[in-house]
Amino acid sequence: MYLQQLVEIFYIGLITVYTIFIVSFIYITSRSRPEIKTDGGKKVHMGMERSEKIWLGVLFTVAVIGNIIFLSPLMPSMQYQVYLDEDPVKTVVITMENHTFILPENPIELPLGKPVEFKVYSNDLTYGFGVFRKDGTMVFQMQVVPGYENRIVWVFDEPGVYTIRSTEYSGPEHPYMVLYDVIVVGGE
Amino acid sequence: MGLGPREKLALKYVLAGVFWLGVAGIEGILMRARLMGYIADFYTPEEYYAVMTVHPFVGIYGWAYMAVMGAFYYLVPVVLKKDLYSERVANISFWVMFLGVLITWLSGFLFKFSALYTLYWPLPVLEYPPQSTLVFSVGTIMIFASILAFFFNMFATIFLPSRGAGGAGYVAKELLTLAFNLDKLKAKTKGIKEYLPRVYSYPVFVVGVFRGCVDTTLNAFVMAGVSLLLGIYSITSLIGSQIPATLIDPLIYKNVFWWGLDLIADGNVLIFTAAVWYFLVPLLVGRELFGESVVRSVILADLVLSLFVWNHHMLADTPQPFVLQIQGQLFTWGELITMGLTMFAVLMTIWYARPVKYSPALLAIVLSILGYAMGGSAGILQANYAMNRFFHNTQWVIGIHGHIQLLAGLSLTIFAAIYAAAPLITGKELDRKLAYWSIILFFVGAVIMGLAMGVAGVNGMLRRTLYFNGEYFEYMAVAMVGALMMAAGYLTFLYNFIKTYGFKTILSIFK
Repeated sequence: MYLQQLVEIFYIGLITVYTIFIVSFIYITSRSRPEIKTDGGKKVHMGMERSEKIWLGVLFTVAVIGNIIFLSPLMPSMQYQVYLDEDPVKTVVITMENHTFILPENPIELPLGKPVEFKVYSNDLTYGFGVFRKDGTMVFQMQVVPGYENRIVWVFDEPGVYTIRSTEYSGPEHPYMVLYDVIVVGGE
Repeated sequence: MGLGPREKLALKYVLAGVFWLGVAGIEGILMRARLMGYIADFYTPEEYYAVMTVHPFVGIYGWAYMAVMGAFYYLVPVVLKKDLYSERVANISFWVMFLGVLITWLSGFLFKFSALYTLYWPLPVLEYPPQSTLVFSVGTIMIFASILAFFFNMFATIFLPSRGAGGAGYVAKELLTLAFNLDKLKAKTKGIKEYLPRVYSYPVFVVGVFRGCVDTTLNAFVMAGVSLLLGIYSITSLIGSQIPATLIDPLIYKNVFWWGLDLIADGNVLIFTAAVWYFLVPLLVGRELFGESVVRSVILADLVLSLFVWNHHMLADTPQPFVLQIQGQLFTWGELITMGLTMFAVLMTIWYARPVKYSPALLAIVLSILGYAMGGSAGILQANYAMNRFFHNTQWVIGIHGHIQLLAGLSLTIFAAIYAAAPLITGKELDRKLAYWSIILFFVGAVIMGLAMGVAGVNGMLRRTLYFNGEYFEYMAVAMVGALMMAAGYLTFLYNFIKTYGFKTILSIFK
């Protein structure tokens, strides 16, 4: 299972909880007995209520934990961007111009389990550079900004053939910017 | 049904907004049908992308902005017990806005301008005939001019009538003091129990409107600047003295563009929505807003956050300094806290008022909170460097985050305002049964559509890519079911409105 599919399962679980909560909330608040309103419903609380403090604490904790996880080496892209101490074993330089990819070789042969570096340049427009598996799921992508070196390091952990596609719109010719099976990642 | 000028003004804006929502819906259904492989014979990629370009302008500026403007032109003076600063400006601004959206739409329909709303440099000036870019530029400049006129009217309505109490500058200072809880700080530093301003305390609704206007004014200036730039390039190209596209750095342009564009998400989508919740919920349940002082602090915190979140749009741009990308991620998580506290305040207000009767307006608000929670959570999950590697530019972003937030969240809030304000304006309530059906169909349809798009995104479907071999047919078919449910909800609303008020009254609004 790929990381984005894990996120999807987590997300579906999360919104299921939200939905159950809101439906229950509507049910309870429309039927429950009125509480004795000691303040006549008009009291304006000047400070923070206890419940607000607790809720703020929950939100803050979620934000801290979420950021720790997303910035940790558990995330492959963070690992390759920040924590990797191994130099790339191969650099692939690709140029994009006039809605086409100019590849250094076809197919591009890459090693399995070793860091490889992609440097992609655009000579005219803003494009995207995305690598996709056979089943259509995305491995990674980045924007390709003209006039800049657009660089990403990746470690392929599955042998096979991969497709590259422009992931950014660059005019009505954009959907044709796809090259099937042009990356071959070898076995161990 | 006798309507005064203020009532007519508000209804005019709202009805124009509803019209553009219908147009945006038709566009969406057409694009979805094309993605499913239908209508390919007469709906070319050029036309598909031209529609995709105007779709957000019609949806955001035509629908959301016009409806919000109508609501605030009515509610802000009512809440402040003042007249609108200039009804004339508001009426002129209506036509400028309506025609601006129409001209922008025509730039796609007639001239096939299709640089999308992102307008990434140098696409708009290199790939399209200058005439088409110029038409787009004129249309969007009109839109932003109208928006700026609206903000002028709002700020003037809020500030100017209190000149006698010390001048506009003094009122502005007092408003900022009260808006952002600085009165508590002043009281503490002065060693007094409570700081009482010499003007008067602004209701939190007005504070929210004011705060949203700050972001959206900045947004309008930046976007108008981009439109002006496109206009200058088009005109010089038409007169034969082309300015080189390389004069503008694409990365700096993108940073400025996203800084300005993201402010609309905070100002219009989040803060205007929060302001409407703060106003309507206490009114509908008959209780003071829970935790109002915290709400005011949240409004300040969100203003600061909103100025620094644009980097979450640049997470896939590897030339962007990495430290800025991490900063964008951290600040975006801050919005989880501010929006979480806003929702909490609203739900607690309802909780303490129980038992409550769920009128169509209150039901729409509670469902819109659910819509925001769904869309916002998807946004938080994707807005970091790690997840951005495989979510950026996929249907996840625009489906689960974008469309659920805009349709199940923002649009339902606007419908809530219409259901609550229509009886105040017209003295006649919309049919409740039809209203419930409309709200539920629209909400469920929006969620089904957004989820189907999002799941397609997880499986690699890009948001701006036309697929020719039916690659994601099943997902798009489910999304189409959701879209048709929304259409049914929309038509139910229209039927209800016409049935309640009659064609004659509706036409009289525009006279």
